[in-house]
Amino acid sequence: MLHVDTLHAHYGRAHILQGLSFHIAPGCALVLLGRNGAGKSTTLKSLIGLVRPTSGRITLAGQDIAGHEPHAIARAGLGYVPEDRRIFTELTVMENLEVGRLPPRDGRPPWTPERLFALFPNLAAMRNRPGGRMSGGEQQMLAIARTLMGNPRLILLDEPSEGLAPVIVEHMVHAIRAMRDSGVTILLAEQNLHFALAVADQAAIIEKGRITWHGPIAALQADPALREAWLAP
Amino acid sequence: MSALLVQLLTGLSGASSLFLVAAGLTVIFGVTRVVNFSHGSLTMLGAYIGWSVLTRLPRGPEWFILGIVLTALIAAALGALLETLLLRRIYRAPELLQLLFTFGIVLVVQDATLWLWGPNDLPLPRAPWLRSFVSIAGERVPLYDLILIAIGPLVLAALWLLFTRTRWGTLVRAATEDRDMVAALGVDQKRLFTTVFALGAGLAGMGGALALPDASANLQIDLNIITDAFVVVVVGGLGSLPGAFLASLLIGVLQSFGIVLLPQATLVLVFVIMAAVLVIRPNGLLGRAQSTARGEAHAFALVRPAAPVLRRLGLAALLLAACAPLIAGPFLLSVLTEMLIALLFAASLHFMMGPGGMASFGHAAWFGIGAYAAAFAVKGLALGMGAGLLLAPLIAGLAAALFGWFVVRLSGVYLAMLTLAFAQIVWAALFQAVEITGGDNGILGVWPPPWAADRRVFYWLTLLLCIASALLLRRILYAPFGYALRATRDSERRAEAIGLHAVHIRLAAFTLAGAAAGLAGGLSAFSKGSVFPNFISISRSVDGLLMVLLGGVQSIAGPIVGAIAYTGLFDLLLLATDQWRAVLGLAIITLVLAFPHGIAGSIHRLWLRGREA
Repeated sequence: MLHVDTLHAHYGRAHILQGLSFHIAPGCALVLLGRNGAGKSTTLKSLIGLVRPTSGRITLAGQDIAGHEPHAIARAGLGYVPEDRRIFTELTVMENLEVGRLPPRDGRPPWTPERLFALFPNLAAMRNRPGGRMSGGEQQMLAIARTLMGNPRLILLDEPSEGLAPVIVEHMVHAIRAMRDSGVTILLAEQNLHFALAVADQAAIIEKGRITWHGPIAALQADPALREAWLAP
Repeated sequence: MSALLVQLLTGLSGASSLFLVAAGLTVIFGVTRVVNFSHGSLTMLGAYIGWSVLTRLPRGPEWFILGIVLTALIAAALGALLETLLLRRIYRAPELLQLLFTFGIVLVVQDATLWLWGPNDLPLPRAPWLRSFVSIAGERVPLYDLILIAIGPLVLAALWLLFTRTRWGTLVRAATEDRDMVAALGVDQKRLFTTVFALGAGLAGMGGALALPDASANLQIDLNIITDAFVVVVVGGLGSLPGAFLASLLIGVLQSFGIVLLPQATLVLVFVIMAAVLVIRPNGLLGRAQSTARGEAHAFALVRPAAPVLRRLGLAALLLAACAPLIAGPFLLSVLTEMLIALLFAASLHFMMGPGGMASFGHAAWFGIGAYAAAFAVKGLALGMGAGLLLAPLIAGLAAALFGWFVVRLSGVYLAMLTLAFAQIVWAALFQAVEITGGDNGILGVWPPPWAADRRVFYWLTLLLCIASALLLRRILYAPFGYALRATRDSERRAEAIGLHAVHIRLAAFTLAGAAAGLAGGLSAFSKGSVFPNFISISRSVDGLLMVLLGGVQSIAGPIVGAIAYTGLFDLLLLATDQWRAVLGLAIITLVLAFPHGIAGSIHRLWLRGREA
C-alpha cells in the first residue's frame, strides 16, 4: 500500500529524517514507535506533504506522491489526523465533517456522517455543536471521523491516545479496530506501547530519523531487551 | 428634527457602499491573511469601469442594475487575475512586505487609470429616476439613497447565506482558521483563495460603482476609500462581516453628521470614535482575539553589532560626509542634506519596526507633526530655529505617546492599519485647518537664522543632529532597554513572565521613534524653507518603509544604506520620467518578488549559506 524509500526531511537547518525506509501492506496496521524527537510526527507530516521532503521516494498504491501538494496527496487517498487534532473550532461537527468530504473511492461504500456516528456514538448527539466547545476526547473522535470522510486508502494517526482519559482510550481502540476491519490501512505514531499493542499488527522503531527495527508487533512484545534498548526514556 | 432624519438617511446610504468595500477587504483578509492595500484600487477601477459601462447603456433602472452587476463581474475577474498572477506568490512573505507589495499595485493602477481614462473627474449623467425623490415625514429624500440603504443589509444577508449554507462557504470559514489542515483534507487552497479574492474584488467593484451617482469616478478614490475601509474593518473586528456592517453604519452616519455640525473636525471625530471602541474592545466591536493563522511563523533575525570592517567603512563614510561641503556645490549639498534627513527618518522607523516589531504604515505622521511644529514655532510664535528644532521632536514625541497609548496594545496588521489611518487623519486635519496651517498652500518662509543661512553651515548642523540621533537610537538598542524591547517583540507573554511591562516598553519605543522622526521633520522644514500637507502623505510613509526594507530590517546599517540608495534613485527617477508611480510600483513589486527578505537580508542569507556550507 505505502512504500517509503530513503526519505530525508529538514526543519530549517535541522536534519530530522535521515534516510527513512519502510513499507505497509494493504489492510495492515503499522505502529511507528520512538522517543520524543525521534521523528515520528515529521514522518507523518512528510507523507501528507505538510513538510516537504528533501529527497526520497514515497509511493501510495503505486502512485508517486513525494513532494506533491498536500491536497493532491489527500486526494490520492492518504488521510491525516494531526497530533493536536486541529479541529475547526468555529465550525459545527457536521461542518467539520463536510470539510473532510471527498468523492467515494474504488467502489467501496463511502463513509457518511451516519456511518461515522455509528462508529463514534458520542458525536451523534452533538451534530450542531461548534468544535471549540468539545472535550479533548470528542475532538479526537471528530478529527478521525473528519479524515475518514475523505475515504482514505491509508490513514495517518499521530498519537491518537495522547492526553485522553482511559475510558476514551478504550473507545479509541475499538474504533481503530473497526476502521481496519472496514479495509482502511493504518499508520500510527505512538509513544504508548500498550495502546500500540492493542491496535497494531506491525511495528517499526524510529531513532534519530532512521528505522532501526521493523517486524511483527508480537516479536516486540516477546523481546523485553529490544523494548528496553529503543523505547525506554 | 426632519433635517436630522435626512442627514441620518444620507449617512446610512453612504455606509452601504463603504460596507461593500470593507466586507470585501475583511473576507480576503480572513482567508489569505493579506491586508490588501490594492483593494482601494479595485474600488476605484469599479467606479471607472462602472462609468464606462453605465454611460454606454440606456438610462432605465433595469439597465442600471445590469451595469452594476456587469461591473462587479469585471472587477471580480480582475481580482482573480491579480491573485493568480501576483498575490499568490507572497502569501508566505512577512505581512509588511505584503502591504508594501499591494501598495506597489496601487501605484501601478493609478498610472494605468490615468492613462486609460484621463485626469478629469468623470461624473455619471443622472437618469431621471436617479434624480427622483420620495417624501418621508414631509422631507424630500432621494430615492437612490433609500435604494442604497436597502442594499447594505441585503448584501450582508446574501454573504451570510453564502458562508453558512454552502460547501464553498464552509471551506472558506475552515481555511480562515487553519488553512494547512484544510489542504491536508484534500481541498485545493489555490482555487479557494482565487475564488475568495474574486468575491472580495467583486464587492469592491460594486461598492465603487454604486457610489457613482452621488459622486464621480476620480483618481483619489483608492486611497480615500482604503483609509475608511481600514477604519471600518478595525472598528468592526478583523474578519467579522456583521462587525464591518455595524462599523460602516457608525462611521457613515458619523461622517454625514460631522460634515454638517463640525466640518473641520469630521476626521478627528472618526479617529476619536475608533480610539474609544478600541480601548473598550481591543479586537473591534465583534472581533475575536487574533491568533496568527496556523502554518506560518516568522522568525526574526537577530540584530548584531556590525563587523569591524563595516565600522571602519562607516567611519570613513562619515569623514567623507563631514568634508563634503568643502567640495560639493549647492545642489549636491541640498541633496546630501535631504539624504541625511531621510537617514534619520528611516532609522527612527527601523527602530520601531525592526527591534520594536511594530510595523508602522503611517510613520510620516511624526515627520509631518515635527515639521509643522517647527514651522509654527518660527512663523506663529516668532521663536528662533533652536526653539523650533527643540519643539519638533518634543511635539512629535508627545503626539506619538498619546497615539501610541492606543496603538501599542495592538500588533501586526491592526497596528499597521491604525498607524496608516492616524497619519491620514493628521494629514486631513492639517489640510482642513486652513487658518493655522495654510491648508494646501502650506507655511512658507521657514528659513534658518542668518548664522545658519549658509548651506554649508546648515548641512553640518543637519549632519551633527542626524548622526547623533541615529547613534543614540543605536546605543539604546544595545542597552538593557533594547534587549527588553526585542524580548517583548519575540514573545510578549514570556517577556511579561520575567517581569517586563510590555506595553510600557513598547510605548517608550514608539515615543522615541516618533520624536526622532519629528526632529527629521523639523530639519526638513528649515532645509526646504516651507512645510506642506504632503509631508504626511502615504507615499512619504511608504518611502520610509522602502528605505528600511530595501536595506533590510535585520541590520542597523540597513535603513541607513537604504535611505541613501533610495533618495538618490528617487531623485533620478523624478528627473527621468512622468510615469514615476508606475515605475516605482513595478520596482516595488519586482523587489518583493525577488527579495522577500529585503536586499540586505537576502545578501546576508547568501553570505551565511556560503559560510556554513
